[in-house]
Amino acid sequence: MRKELPDWLKTAMPETAAAPKAIARTAREQAETLGLPGLRDEEWRWTNLRAIQRGEFTAPTGVGADIEPSVRLPLDNPLRLRFIDGVFEGVPNDVPEGLTLTALPDADEDTRQAAFSPTPAPSVENPNDALVTLNTAMAREGVVIDVAANAVIDRPIVVEWLDGATESVMSHPRVLVRLGQSSSATLIEHIETVGEQPSWRNSVIVSTIAANAVLTHIALGLDGARRLATERTFVSLERDARYHSHNVQLGGQMIRREYDIHVGGSGAHVDLIGLMMPRGKQVLDTHTRITHAAADTTSNEHYRTIADDAGRGIFKGRILIEEDAQRIQAYQSSNNLILSDNAEIDAKPELEIYADDVSCSHGATIGRLDEEALFYLRSRGLQLDEARGLLIAGFAQEVIDEIPLVELRDWLTERVEQRLGDRDTAGNETA
Amino acid sequence: MALLEIKNLHAVIDGKEILKGINLTINAGEVHAIMGPNGSGKSTLCHVLGGRDGYEVTEGTITFDGHDLLEMETEERAVAGMLLGFQHPVEIPGVKNIYLLKEALNAKREAQGLDEVDTFTFMKQVRELVASMDMDDAFLHRGVNAGFSGGEKKRNEILQMLLLEPKLALLDETDSGLDIDALKVVSEGINRMRGEERGIILVTHYQRLLNYVEPDFVHVLYKGKIIKSGDKSLAHRLEAEGYQEILEEAS
Ligand SMILES: Nc1ncnc2c1ncn2[C@@H]1O[C@H](COP(=O)(O)OP(=O)(O)OP(=O)(O)O)[C@@H](O)[C@H]1O
Ligand SMILES: [Mg+2]
Repeated sequence: MRKELPDWLKTAMPETAAAPKAIARTAREQAETLGLPGLRDEEWRWTNLRAIQRGEFTAPTGVGADIEPSVRLPLDNPLRLRFIDGVFEGVPNDVPEGLTLTALPDADEDTRQAAFSPTPAPSVENPNDALVTLNTAMAREGVVIDVAANAVIDRPIVVEWLDGATESVMSHPRVLVRLGQSSSATLIEHIETVGEQPSWRNSVIVSTIAANAVLTHIALGLDGARRLATERTFVSLERDARYHSHNVQLGGQMIRREYDIHVGGSGAHVDLIGLMMPRGKQVLDTHTRITHAAADTTSNEHYRTIADDAGRGIFKGRILIEEDAQRIQAYQSSNNLILSDNAEIDAKPELEIYADDVSCSHGATIGRLDEEALFYLRSRGLQLDEARGLLIAGFAQEVIDEIPLVELRDWLTERVEQRLGDRDTAGNETA
Repeated sequence: MALLEIKNLHAVIDGKEILKGINLTINAGEVHAIMGPNGSGKSTLCHVLGGRDGYEVTEGTITFDGHDLLEMETEERAVAGMLLGFQHPVEIPGVKNIYLLKEALNAKREAQGLDEVDTFTFMKQVRELVASMDMDDAFLHRGVNAGFSGGEKKRNEILQMLLLEPKLALLDETDSGLDIDALKVVSEGINRMRGEERGIILVTHYQRLLNYVEPDFVHVLYKGKIIKSGDKSLAHRLEAEGYQEILEEAS
């Protein structure tokens, strides 16, 4: 059974939303009947929204203090798009040629229409989509990122989600990313909780990648003991387009992240790489759904979870190959490491294949640290703690190594090592 | 004082007694070969000496360089100068070879009260050793043993030994599955380690290694006991006659 939409959420529905009027009105009606996903919804068996249900979050009142993230990512001249408690700070004024940035409410009707009409389209039957619908009904803030055909945007575009700046705030921002033919861009989500307050962000990113264009999308979920987030990314790819996704989740109380990827043109390729490290009582959950709707397309998915303390990691990866989509290669692996008796990991691959000429493989492993490898390292004189740390860091490193930005990769390597270094004193603290 | 003294060693894995009263004394400067049929307990003995969890010593004593070995953790044994060359070196992708080498060397230096090795000296030494093992520098930057061929893994074990200069090297079938060129390189490495102050134990099935590294003593381990000891001629006999006759003699 769905959880009915709590009153505080009903009353928070805005008079004017960023979505075109008709879309917003429908979404509003649907949101009220859909409610929030509940425990009995299969897709929400492992992660529940009780903390949100009970949260009594309010909409942000306006731009808070001039808050900066606690860390500066090692990026070359980034274009920073700051959202403080979901409120967009505005577009920077030194935007390079080929790139157009527009605050969502300022965008024209067609653009706003596009921002709220993702492919694949969410359906009312799917409990996951209740949250997208809610976002559609509630979204007032957002940004549109347009990359012109043939433009190569070297500067990374960084969406900074700075949550928790003010008391118990919720936000429903929406981002539209459109890459023109043969263009390329790097989108980074820098996610952090900047205060002590609980927060809930229900964000949606809709992206379209035109023929032969390349989007690299890196999500970095950093500190934030009290962050609740439900994050959804829609991606649709045309011919020969490529989408490289790296999803690193370190912080947060409960993070549910979902990717819906529609591989709609032949020759298109998708990489989904992920690392989740729940500890304390964190719940870090990623669901991915890839639909191969065109022939000669490929996908490569590799997720790793390291769960410590009473942390909980969830990975569910679905790959759907449509009937006419022949000559598909789709690989998926999910490797998981459990470091404590109270930690838990659920990993579930799902393959649905309707074509006959496909090459697919998937596999999930869940294990503890390899005793033999520990013995090997100790037999070379390394202390037990160090040997453990090395093995855990090494496990994480294999997915970190796939991040294409060298400085960011090195920074993350260090960050993960630090995090492992204070593991013994971690207790219930998160991230 | 002997470098290693094993007295009446009994050890149990999963409730099953594998070592059933081993006595063995190794002095500095000596090379001992331990031979014996599959499953006789050779690797178990190595693991017990290395202090691997899950191997319970139920009786007996082991003294290593004056220490009560059974009171020491695996890493303490290592920094005190014991090196175990694995029959099946473990693959550890994600941990770079070069990193392990440096950490291992520094762990030993720290135990000796020395400062960390400086990077320049370290790299120079490691490169020389890599060349002497007929390996490529690229190995240093790969994960420990990750995707190495059988022969490459064994060379890597010897490389670690040469860098760490243990007092006692315990080499479990380092020669198995090597082609002849690799065997020569590995044997040369072992011979370089040979010296007044060091002991070496070679666990092997083959005389071939012993042609290159001549042992001072040869022991036959059978069903958890050393049933016969002798000089290098014992290995020749085993190669020529097989185990049967020697087993009969012993019983
Ligand atoms: N974890 C274990 N649990 C139960 N029995 C074990 C375990 N490990 C080893 N054994 C048994 O102990 C005996 C000795 O094994 P060990 O590996 O020491 O033999 P080995 O002499 O090294 O043989 P090989 O020449 O094949 O390497 C074998 O019968 C083996 O099956
Ligand atoms: Mg063996």
